[in-house]
Amino acid sequence: MTEKYQNFLRRYGTALGGLALFIFFAIAAENFLNPSNLLNVLKQISFLTILAIGFSFALTTSELDLSFATVGSLACVVAGGLIYHQFSPILAIAAGLFAGLAAGVINGLIVTRLKVPSLIGTLAVSSIATGVSFWITGGVAFVGRWADAFLFLGRGQLVGIPVLVFWTLIIAVFSLFVLKQTRIGIHMIFTGENDEAARLGGIPTQKMKVLGLSISGLTAGFTGVLLASTLSSADPTAADGFMLTAIAAVLLGMTMIEPGHPNVPGSLIGALTIGILSNGLILMGVEYYVQDIILGMIIIASVSVSASTITKAAFSV
Amino acid sequence: MATLLDLKSIHKSYGAVQALNGVSLTVREGEVLAICGDNGAGKSTLIKIVSGAEAATSGQVFLRGKEVHFASPADALACGVATIYQDLALAPRLQVYQNIFMGAELTRATFIPFLRILDKKKMSQAAADYLGRLNIEIKDMKAPVASLSGGQRQAVAISRALRWQASLVIMDEPTAALGVRETAQVLDLIRQLHDQAVTIIIISHNMEDVVAVATRIVILKNGLKLGECLTENLTAAELSRMIALGDLGDRNIIRQTAVE
Amino acid sequence: MKCKKIGLARTAALMAVFFLTTTQAFAGDFKLGIVVTAMSSETHARTAHAAEETARKLGWDVTILDSQANVQKIVSNLENLAQAKVNAILVCMGKPVETEAGLAAVSKAGTPMISVMSGTSPHVMFDITVNEYEVGAEAALYLLGQLNYQGHILTQRYESHVGTRIRGKILDVVLAENLAVKVIGSHTMAKTKSWREDVRKGMEALLLQNQGKFQGIWASFDAQAFIIDDLLQAQGHKKGDIVMVSIDGGQETFRRIRDPNSLLTASVFIPFEAMGKKAVELMDQIVNKGDKKEELVTGPYLFLDALMIDKYNAPPEGEWPKM
Repeated sequence: MTEKYQNFLRRYGTALGGLALFIFFAIAAENFLNPSNLLNVLKQISFLTILAIGFSFALTTSELDLSFATVGSLACVVAGGLIYHQFSPILAIAAGLFAGLAAGVINGLIVTRLKVPSLIGTLAVSSIATGVSFWITGGVAFVGRWADAFLFLGRGQLVGIPVLVFWTLIIAVFSLFVLKQTRIGIHMIFTGENDEAARLGGIPTQKMKVLGLSISGLTAGFTGVLLASTLSSADPTAADGFMLTAIAAVLLGMTMIEPGHPNVPGSLIGALTIGILSNGLILMGVEYYVQDIILGMIIIASVSVSASTITKAAFSV
Repeated sequence: MATLLDLKSIHKSYGAVQALNGVSLTVREGEVLAICGDNGAGKSTLIKIVSGAEAATSGQVFLRGKEVHFASPADALACGVATIYQDLALAPRLQVYQNIFMGAELTRATFIPFLRILDKKKMSQAAADYLGRLNIEIKDMKAPVASLSGGQRQAVAISRALRWQASLVIMDEPTAALGVRETAQVLDLIRQLHDQAVTIIIISHNMEDVVAVATRIVILKNGLKLGECLTENLTAAELSRMIALGDLGDRNIIRQTAVE
Repeated sequence: MKCKKIGLARTAALMAVFFLTTTQAFAGDFKLGIVVTAMSSETHARTAHAAEETARKLGWDVTILDSQANVQKIVSNLENLAQAKVNAILVCMGKPVETEAGLAAVSKAGTPMISVMSGTSPHVMFDITVNEYEVGAEAALYLLGQLNYQGHILTQRYESHVGTRIRGKILDVVLAENLAVKVIGSHTMAKTKSWREDVRKGMEALLLQNQGKFQGIWASFDAQAFIIDDLLQAQGHKKGDIVMVSIDGGQETFRRIRDPNSLLTASVFIPFEAMGKKAVELMDQIVNKGDKKEELVTGPYLFLDALMIDKYNAPPEGEWPKM
């Protein structure tokens, strides 16, 4: 009985913590429970969640992707730039996604072909992505009144619910399906679990690593497109700020459901917890710097629980 | 018995170090062949060459009379040569059936070509069947491998060979680091596998185990084949002495095989 | 595992205590939210803190929210404040076009907004600012005047910020009319967290390369000028050797202008504190005292004056220029 209880706590302890936080704010923070505020929270965490899910794909294959935030900015600038110059929204979206995917593939090739550890390789790509973003924009954001069809992607609503929430759900469900129900998914998991064993079992582990990093790039690209649409502008640093919070969401997610390992529901709850925390603190009128301090504490606490996977990804070639 | 695998004059050098110096041997269908020898005799190198993990410097490998060149373990696997490694090459966090089917999952197609859905139910049933054939009882196919005993883990690794429908299974130190009871269990597993008409090559330091399961023994020394003997009426002590002295004496059957 | 759980619980408890003690909990009647683009930028922080101080004197509850130079964070901060149903919002150095979605959410909630140095938006009552074009022209003309409209200058530019970019462009216009003054070296600062290092390296190279060949230096904002000043002092230059002009103003700027060892000649003082203060005062008048916006501010902008500061009018330590 106690073992069962301990196991439950191990798997859902953090989620219960998130729930406790929710209840705390429901009581302590005025207006927190307003349906419009709850939708607001869901909408705000969408970028974070999509990036976090992408990052967890890379981490599943035991590689870190430290470029996703700046790659998101690059995709934002690419999509926004094309819209700004009156190209069709379809082309702009495709180009944004492609920019993200390309960066991901490059990350993958750097890690698998050049044997550069992902910690370093993706950081380098991150720098390149920033450089290209500034090259494209000259540092000046593309702004303007853009086509409604394009703006709907990030600002639209369906049955009173922001479209962004649907994007997040679609990506979360599809990712969960891929990882849990498909051959490619389990091959990525095997690659991350035991690279050598997977290779001996005939799994193309190098390809799986490229795939994991490519998916991370692709979701970063999608986030960039969504940001361009939501902000109707494209700043060369638009997505840079999501780096730490998205990683924090993944790390928080790794303390639950499948403790020690990146997982989609965990990342989702992690992002939700961070979103609730940020929103609740603002509603309570807490000073701005408190959020940063708490975010750092979350990262330390999470990693102390699930260090091995991250360390392996960070320091293995 | 027909010849399954034929190695001809295998040389392997790592820079200046000569690991194998022209080893030739035959593996017949349905036998359990043990390769013995001291550390540095070249056992592991020989096994790596057969399993596709490493390429020989020179020499030829014939499988069922046809020359083969294995570029990777996956290549060897495709030809029915499966290797069970000392560390078992399992993913401990993942489930029993997932490990058995690692890299060779049963799937159904979806509308997206490269996205194949796992047939978990079928795999789970087949996994239970393989383990049943080895007389091993693991109740929950969904239990993580980390929760299994050493013997059970061996069973999972060996089941993989059944899944691959391997005709030749290479086992690298299968009883190393196991307790007495688990060793007995693993030896039993090897016999069960043998009963399934699988040919087995086994490397072991444990003479008791070798004598217990092998039908024939090849002894290597310093990268050369010292000789071969049958295990009938052979004791572990005798085998140890042969290896230590580097002389098989009357037991050597190598000349007879050459005459055949 | 058990140990770690206890560790986690302790961390959680610590966090709870920590943020409860830092909570202002919106006890007062009037709540003001201040959304700042980047508290890490000195000018943003100065504006926000002046506004905060003024508001607290009025007995208001104030929450400052930092957006860490992240446009999306400005939007979410605005949305969250709208949800918190604050009584008024002040936007410091905002980006109204990029953050239109957030501003719209606030205006939909009926919350009055004033911005400082942001540009205009239909959702905001008005923007309190200085005229950057005028500021740029003052700095450029002061520099050229000191050089008697001839000689060579070095420039330290920054193109990724609208204000500093305008200053640079106005300098270009002024130079285009005065061909006897030539730019013989220019460095453009990159937008990174280590921008100070970038300025130091870039200018160090230019200073060495052009040693003895230039009479003036133009920097797009004061913090750049400080770095160049330190470089020049280290190279043994004395006040008066070179004319260096920049823009922003502040206590450190005034100190350097007064300092006989510093090479900083002059700076255009932008009244950040006054803008923050004015924003709160006007908000109070409109929201609490019932004054009409149109009677207080005509048009979308309220322009405050910037003031050229050199050794003749630099205020003594701790004081501010008389405007």
